Amino acid sequence: MREFLLKKLAHWHSSYPGRMLLIVLLLTIVFGYFAGHLKVTMRWSDLLPSKDQRTIQFNKIIEEFVSATSLVVVVEGEEGRIKEFAETLAPRILETTNSHGNREQLFRRVDYKTEVDFLKEHGLMLIKAEDLKNLKDIFMDPNLTGLLVNLNNSMEKEYVGQEESISTREKEDGAVVFLDGIESLIEGLKSVVKGEELSESDIQGIADKLLFGESYFLSYDEKALVLNAIPNFTMMDSDLMVVGTDSVQEILDEMRVDYPDVRAGLTGMIAIGRDEMVYAEQSLGHTTLIAVLAILLLLMVSFRMWVAPVLAIANLLVGLIWAVGIAAIVVGQLNIMTQMMAVILLGLGIDFSIHIISGFTEWRAAGDSITEAMEKTFLKSGKGILTGGVTTACAFLTLSISQSRGLKEMGMATGTGLLAILLATFLFLPSLLVLRERRLDKKHEKRKDAELFVQRDISFRFLGHAAVWLSKHYVFTVLFSLLLTLMLAWFGSKITFDHNYMNIEPKGLTSIELQDVVLEKFDMSMDYALILADDVDESRELAQAYKELGSVAVTEDISLYLPSSEQQQKRIPHIVEIIEKVQATPIEEGIVWNSIPKLHEEVERLEMNIMEMQDMAYLGGQDKVDDKCKAIVGDPDKPESQNIIQELLRLLEADQAQLLGGLSSFQERFAPYFKRSVIRMASTESIKLEDLPVSILDRYSNKTREQFLVTVFPKGNIWQDAEFLHRFDDDLERVSDKATGMPPVFRALIEIIGRDGRNAVFLTLIIVFLLLLVDFRSPLYALMAMIPLACGVLWMVGLMKLTGMQITVMNIMALPMIVGIGIDDGVHIVHRWQHEGKGKVFTVFASTGKAILLTSLTTMLAFGSLVFSIWRGFGHLGAALFLGVGACFLTTVVILPGIIGFLERKNS
Amino acid sequence: MMKQLLTAVLMILFLIMVASGQELTGEDIIQKVNDTMNVDTSHAKAKMTIVTTSGSKRTFVQESWSKNKGEKNLVRYLEPRRVKDQAVLMLNNADDIWMFFPRTQRVRKLATHAKKQKMQGSDFSYEDMGSGDAFIEDYVSKRLEDEKSEGYDCYKLELTRKPESDLSYSRLIIWVIKENFVPIAIDYYDDKDPSRRVKRLVQSDIRVIDDIPTAMKSVMFDLNDNTQTELEMLEVKFNIPLDDNMFTERALKK
Repeated sequence: MREFLLKKLAHWHSSYPGRMLLIVLLLTIVFGYFAGHLKVTMRWSDLLPSKDQRTIQFNKIIEEFVSATSLVVVVEGEEGRIKEFAETLAPRILETTNSHGNREQLFRRVDYKTEVDFLKEHGLMLIKAEDLKNLKDIFMDPNLTGLLVNLNNSMEKEYVGQEESISTREKEDGAVVFLDGIESLIEGLKSVVKGEELSESDIQGIADKLLFGESYFLSYDEKALVLNAIPNFTMMDSDLMVVGTDSVQEILDEMRVDYPDVRAGLTGMIAIGRDEMVYAEQSLGHTTLIAVLAILLLLMVSFRMWVAPVLAIANLLVGLIWAVGIAAIVVGQLNIMTQMMAVILLGLGIDFSIHIISGFTEWRAAGDSITEAMEKTFLKSGKGILTGGVTTACAFLTLSISQSRGLKEMGMATGTGLLAILLATFLFLPSLLVLRERRLDKKHEKRKDAELFVQRDISFRFLGHAAVWLSKHYVFTVLFSLLLTLMLAWFGSKITFDHNYMNIEPKGLTSIELQDVVLEKFDMSMDYALILADDVDESRELAQAYKELGSVAVTEDISLYLPSSEQQQKRIPHIVEIIEKVQATPIEEGIVWNSIPKLHEEVERLEMNIMEMQDMAYLGGQDKVDDKCKAIVGDPDKPESQNIIQELLRLLEADQAQLLGGLSSFQERFAPYFKRSVIRMASTESIKLEDLPVSILDRYSNKTREQFLVTVFPKGNIWQDAEFLHRFDDDLERVSDKATGMPPVFRALIEIIGRDGRNAVFLTLIIVFLLLLVDFRSPLYALMAMIPLACGVLWMVGLMKLTGMQITVMNIMALPMIVGIGIDDGVHIVHRWQHEGKGKVFTVFASTGKAILLTSLTTMLAFGSLVFSIWRGFGHLGAALFLGVGACFLTTVVILPGIIGFLERKNS
Repeated sequence: MMKQLLTAVLMILFLIMVASGQELTGEDIIQKVNDTMNVDTSHAKAKMTIVTTSGSKRTFVQESWSKNKGEKNLVRYLEPRRVKDQAVLMLNNADDIWMFFPRTQRVRKLATHAKKQKMQGSDFSYEDMGSGDAFIEDYVSKRLEDEKSEGYDCYKLELTRKPESDLSYSRLIIWVIKENFVPIAIDYYDDKDPSRRVKRLVQSDIRVIDDIPTAMKSVMFDLNDNTQTELEMLEVKFNIPLDDNMFTERALKK
């Protein structure tokens, strides 16, 4: 039946090449239409099973929480300049519109400051009762001297009462904010004492910093600032993701002229998503081009002609259009893994053409007519091509039983894609070859020099000679192969898994590198976990539960701005006490000369308190507090370092008149504003969800305000320490099974894809064996074709270890894939040996050996081109498959001659 | 003859039982541990390495004195230069803690509940460092099946916190070296969740100093924070005369 169909097809090509080309053209138009509608997703969560909770939750968060996927601008430079830069940049970002679409505003909001207005109304209600108890003194006296007395009392009480106050990250941050306010006050006092004029807003800024902390999103060293641009689109809108990021990048480039001393770059989910997509496309485009050119060159050299290789590439491109069209129908969108399907299919699909061209040119060289040569090619190479192609496609399709969408879609896209190219090779290439041969024949007839036209024998004789030697010395061959396989298997068993997701990401991208800047400057990992809560109470409970875990640095959720009514009730008595005290405290009119000694004394006391705080922080290893203290009282290890309190003390001892004037002016403007602010922020009205400003609501709740987002930041670097990643994920899961985000998604990927990969290898081996059994109708031959494959897989893993590679979530796919790819070599050799019969080892390996060498080289070139990809994950897979294909070729041409030699000797 | 043989067998059995420690209850063992650990007075010089919040290592050398079986403790820092002469005084089994700052020449009292907190950024809490008779007074001991731990044949004990105790750990599992009653390893369990191990102390380099078996090296692992603190004894002396005046707020400044 198969022979009949192949013969019939060969006949059609020889007789009606034009009609065949028309069919191909029609099919290409149809599949091309579908291919044009294929979408791309670069979300890692899209590699997990579609019903996986982590994927569902992640997609839900992206769709419903506008702030979950923001464009982050990281600005670096001197504090004043970066603040100025942010003030100029924010309105410009809001002005950007979608010039490619309906000119809608791309960003709805730019967050780069805390919600000071809300804090001004409800600031005290947001402070924990325990902290209020310790800190309330600070708010009670707005007068300069009284404030300093209260600050000192509070600081002494702070660590007398609560040594743990700066022992956790959150508390350490609180201490830094507190010290920041003091630093600002000291600097302000220094200025006025020196006679410098401070504006109203400067003085209000000092009071605000004391009461609410720094309003800009500044780093600990105050040399970096972040702006979060909240888009009107989500990561699902990939086009807008690109347009939005590019528009803001353009603004940054323009602003560079006015701010040469400021560095600014983009990161966050949107920028990374854009970069991943754009660079993946570019990088795959480049690698595909490299692969096509390299394959073309190789084929031209090997076949010593240029037309046939060009026809092979044309056939391949048509096949690829069909494959992509089918992928659009079968999987709908390409994910991080399936994006590589074009390069993979390129490497595999070209093999079919090579076998056809190789067979056809050989038969033509032997003097057969076009019709005879085509029929023989279809009968002798066609079977092998069909078996090899179908086996590889089935092996890929076996991956579709995988749980993970990454492997499942990879299997479906490449399996069906390979079948599409196989079909194209049987429908398109032969007609092209027939037309070319007819034209050549006509040309020779016209020249009447047909007798001079001699086709050359272009088989690889060296492969034939080597195979004959190996076959004759089969004992040596088998023993040598066995030893080498055992050795490489031993090395392979030592290979380790790389859990570091950053090693897969593209290298050298600003958006990726800026994540490290954020981690270093803000001590905040951008690889956080996200959990959806169904109401505010659940959000609060989850945040509290996560906060208590050792692996968690900080949690963020709506409860930061919305304490429970019970918590609010506990705070009210302290707030009432503050209002009563501050209202009862009269504002002093200026500073009189006899109050200077007291002021001096309190400043000295403040210095001592900060020094002690610094010493405790040093002993306690709290570097951020120590650093902040150094900015105020200097570095004890560097006596020459600046101590701004000592500077103020020296100034306080100077000219009395100027001193009094400056301090009085400060007191007259500072005290009333401070008092007003405290009274205003001391509202005892209960805070309700609807009282929160939109920016806070957007950040922590969904559009309908029915669901709430809890963000959990890990304490350490989750990518450089696999154990920590596991602990963080275990901790997340212990509190709630709804946790998602990169840490849980990536760990799940490692587990699920690892399991899928292992299962797929075994299942693919079984399927391949069954298919070969049907094809060869002999378990011996089926097994014989599989031996080089089995050894090839072991060689591949051993070689990966020897070349310093690790298994990653990307290259683990190479294992099941190589089972499908590597089997072809053995199938072709066993088929040809079966067909040629005993004693034809030379012919088998010189002819089919050439074909499998070429197919292996072309496949290796295609996969090898992935190494040039900016996406390191693609490179990992390419390198593994490069080694795998090479290993399978070597095991085929080394082990099979030995086995054939043994079998021929045994049978004779 | 038969009677003599029986007596001999019984004696041998008794000796085997004694040797294997079968007759010792959990309370007996913990009492011996307490006696071994809480010598009347001690003076030591030690090196402690902590990990700071930015991830770098910081090593301190400190000198310490202890009296009344650990009820009074004084720690004075020697190195690095930045903390030289800074001192911590712990009285009433670390219920009352004072700190002296040489830069300001001031002494501050820390809150009593600070004893549950980490001591100076280390993974040891004040409570871990000076808990006196806590093993006996605050916990109920139960002997578990003997085990080998850190290469030593050990008694394994489970200490469960008494309801009236305010200590930080709901229970402890202690491995005590049979030969010298040194607790070679201790697992500490969460205050609220007795199934959750939060810390592990491993001691090593046991030397006999002044007739007292002493662990020269202790490593405390904080399993929650995934950090560890090493405390290495450089010199130790036991049962030396120490004046009560040493353990006063005024003496801290000296």
